[in-house]
Amino acid sequence: MIAGYRLPRMARRLIALALMAIAMPARAQHLLLPMDDAQANHLKAYGVTFGALRDGVRSEWLLNYRGGAFLLPDLPSLRRAALLAGVSVEAIDAATLRTLRTAMAEGNMDAVPLEKAPRIAIYTPPDAPPWDDAVTLALTYAGIPYDAIWDDAVLDTDLSKYDWIHLHHEDFTGQQHKLASVYRDAPWFVRSRERDLAMARRFGQGDIPALKKAVAGRLAAFVERGGFLFAMCGSTETLELALAGRDVDIAGVPADGSPLDPAADGKMDWLRAMAFGGAALEMAPGVNAMSDIDGHQVNVPLRRQQLGTFSLFGFSAKFDPVASMLVQNHRAVLRDFYGVTTSFTRTRLKPGVTILAEEAGAPWVKYVHGTFGRGAWTYLGGHDPEDPQHAVGAPPTDLALHPNSPGYRLILNNVLFPAAKQKPLKT
Amino acid sequence: MRWRPLLALVIGGALAGSVHLAAQTGPASTVLARAIDAENQGRAREAIAAYREAIALGAVVPGVLGLERAFALVAQEDSVLPALDTLIAKFPREGSLRNAQLRALVTVGREREASRAFIAWREAEPSAIDPYREYARVLLFHGRMAAADTVLAEAVQRLGSTRGMLLEVAQLRAGLGRWAEAAGSWREVMQEEPYFETAAFYAMLPTPVAFRDTVRAIFTAGSAPLGARQALAQLEVSWGTPRRGWEWLASLPVRDTTIAIWQQFAEEVERAEAWGVLTDVLVAVQRARPTSAHAIRAARAALRAGADTIALRLAREAQQGPPADRRMTDGVPIELEALARLGRAADAERVLAAAAPTLGPEIVRRQARTIAMAWIRAGDVDRARRAVREAPIEDADLVAGWLALYAGEIGVARTALRQLDTPDPQRVEVLAFLARTSATQSRSIGEAFLAVARGDSARAIRAFEQVARDHAELASLATLVAARIHQGRGELAKAAELWARLVAQDGQSPEAAEALLEWGRLARRQGDRAAARARFEQLILSHPTSALVPQARRELDRLALEDRR
Repeated sequence: MIAGYRLPRMARRLIALALMAIAMPARAQHLLLPMDDAQANHLKAYGVTFGALRDGVRSEWLLNYRGGAFLLPDLPSLRRAALLAGVSVEAIDAATLRTLRTAMAEGNMDAVPLEKAPRIAIYTPPDAPPWDDAVTLALTYAGIPYDAIWDDAVLDTDLSKYDWIHLHHEDFTGQQHKLASVYRDAPWFVRSRERDLAMARRFGQGDIPALKKAVAGRLAAFVERGGFLFAMCGSTETLELALAGRDVDIAGVPADGSPLDPAADGKMDWLRAMAFGGAALEMAPGVNAMSDIDGHQVNVPLRRQQLGTFSLFGFSAKFDPVASMLVQNHRAVLRDFYGVTTSFTRTRLKPGVTILAEEAGAPWVKYVHGTFGRGAWTYLGGHDPEDPQHAVGAPPTDLALHPNSPGYRLILNNVLFPAAKQKPLKT
Repeated sequence: MRWRPLLALVIGGALAGSVHLAAQTGPASTVLARAIDAENQGRAREAIAAYREAIALGAVVPGVLGLERAFALVAQEDSVLPALDTLIAKFPREGSLRNAQLRALVTVGREREASRAFIAWREAEPSAIDPYREYARVLLFHGRMAAADTVLAEAVQRLGSTRGMLLEVAQLRAGLGRWAEAAGSWREVMQEEPYFETAAFYAMLPTPVAFRDTVRAIFTAGSAPLGARQALAQLEVSWGTPRRGWEWLASLPVRDTTIAIWQQFAEEVERAEAWGVLTDVLVAVQRARPTSAHAIRAARAALRAGADTIALRLAREAQQGPPADRRMTDGVPIELEALARLGRAADAERVLAAAAPTLGPEIVRRQARTIAMAWIRAGDVDRARRAVREAPIEDADLVAGWLALYAGEIGVARTALRQLDTPDPQRVEVLAFLARTSATQSRSIGEAFLAVARGDSARAIRAFEQVARDHAELASLATLVAARIHQGRGELAKAAELWARLVAQDGQSPEAAEALLEWGRLARRQGDRAAARARFEQLILSHPTSALVPQARRELDRLALEDRR
């Protein structure tokens, strides 16, 4: 440049703008949240996606692509949320996205639009610590909001305001998982029993089993009218027993003062149940099991089965998007974990139930899904995927130490699954 | 590691049961000796042939056990099974053979056959506990907790109790994570056999935090067995609470056994580098059995714990015993170091002068550095300079470096301190500080570090703030150091003022990340969650590559959990 010569002001501004444009990378049009091993925090990735939906930002779930990646628009607010959460993102421009869609169209992959954040309720006692329930832990860690509801809310309020209800280890037969023989004097046990008795009186029910059966009936009606129900651990088996045993005495003396009906097995109406049929109740009051639905019987020493691993089924993303969503994962084989109900005996499953995960060669399965009326339910056996031997009073699982937990991903798949319900589903 | 004691039990069980078919004389013993020799030299094939020969000559149990080991050498563990089948048919009540059979079958994964072998043994000896105990041991050794549990439950069902299997039950309960029951069982074991404290320690080591108080209560209830106290003390050291470990042992009556236990505990505490607890343990040993050697060891521990007054007292005790026991050459340097740390430079000089005839001129000269540092701590740099003139060259260099620093001769100090290769965290910190500036002279830096050396925290804060004003390149670091000192003094509001200033003025400096983290933590403790969240988010967003980002994310998770409650 000639010394002393200055460009006109407008020219200087244009050059400056041009230089800035060169210096700053062009904003990509999309953000990809990979869900394979490139993801630093799988669990919080669900939270970031859920947050986007809550803010009205439409997203896509790329089934079977990179572990079930999420595609979001490239917005500063989403970049910020991902950075705060430690979630890995990849910027995708239009050309790359076109290539990606072509590859997806040619393979067993599909993109499911996620349209709105589901309204979530967790059925949990008012005094339950957050770490007592894997779903509560997962949602809290991922930053997904939910309402906590209990018997009064189930019996008193309109559940249709929720898209998704989660149950964990409640015993819907009203027997508190037969823990009375061991814990009847433990303060927490006494408190929960008194709380349930008060609730039963409030709703005009004679005892806790009657109260819980009424609650079970309302929950089944929620599904029948189009709701999504996700249950884990003991709530799976006992919900089914409570539904099928609505008019039968299936609770022992400690629960309602009278022994089980000796002919209860023959009186169960399995048409009312969602997932299981023909199960045999455990009649012995001293045996800590509810029925033969659970394959592992963890609290019965002479029957307890060892933990193995379970494998997720691969489904066709294009023809079975629902099942595909529920099994998106970066691992196909997961280690098993105990719960008061750990698994589901194959022979007790109703025809039409979709098996999502099983232990190869074992007479039980781990993860099942089905429809009931206009709604759907999913059951996952076990209590806490990262605490396989979980015991009463065990310390809480710190999910910050398991940000890539494949087991917890199964839970979070269920949370996002109702967000996709607007798309016509083929299953 | 936790299976080591169990391995010993498994093998021990095998040997214990091998007595009546084991004692051999004559040709069998000669063949056995040859077999063992071949095995020891790794000639497995030869050993196998010799062991077979020994069995044929009547050395059944040692022969089979040797055969089992020799086959293991060539990874053919199941090859011993045909021999065992034949021998068990001849000696159906021989536990060692049955045990070896169970071991081999479980090792090679032939579970169903192992189960059948167990049932056959149980039926051969319906009222004996051995089949249950040995099978449970083998299963426990292979980590088959649930299966072992089933075997023990069956023992209860058939025999009425698990008496005689206390150890297996304890091991099993710990393996299954039934911590309270495991603690009860281990206590029962140690009531009978106190020397199982190491096995109890390994078994209970993984006890989760939530169950540790229960374990403590069970191990120490009533008149706790000595083994239980020892096991618990060891556990406390491994759980990171050595002080509690010492509490379980400190109240033991003083006798030789107790002194031995204390000394063993001291070794463990020393490995854990818990100097304060180590001081207490060694002081107790010294009180119970006073010797100069004990006093010196305790004094050294006290110095490492920063308990200078205690170190001083112990160092003097080491010099006051019977003449033959006095440890002047060890005791005087410790006494001088303690006095120096306490800033009692004049006392240190007097002590050194009095001990000089005993110590000799070379040792006296080596103490010059300590005396110089004592004067520095007393705030008298001129006396320190005079003292260092007496020091050996290498010590003089070290002190000269520090003296140059305190005098504000930054360039000289940087060179002198960098040349030293003694491991000294304080020196590394100073060098890291000085590396941020190219200044060669700075009165304020000298005053700041001199105030730190004197332990004058109030003056140090003022001095570091002055450094921040004098040296723009050091502003963020000096402000952060001043804030840390405020924090150490419990002046959190003042620390927060400095953090705020640092973030406002040097928001992109590496120190800003630490300031934001501490500032956010303070806000959370004070209940201002919104402010805390803002600080942590600012840290993550403005310093995404900082090593403190994971901590900030954890803090955000914690806030979310608190919000939920």
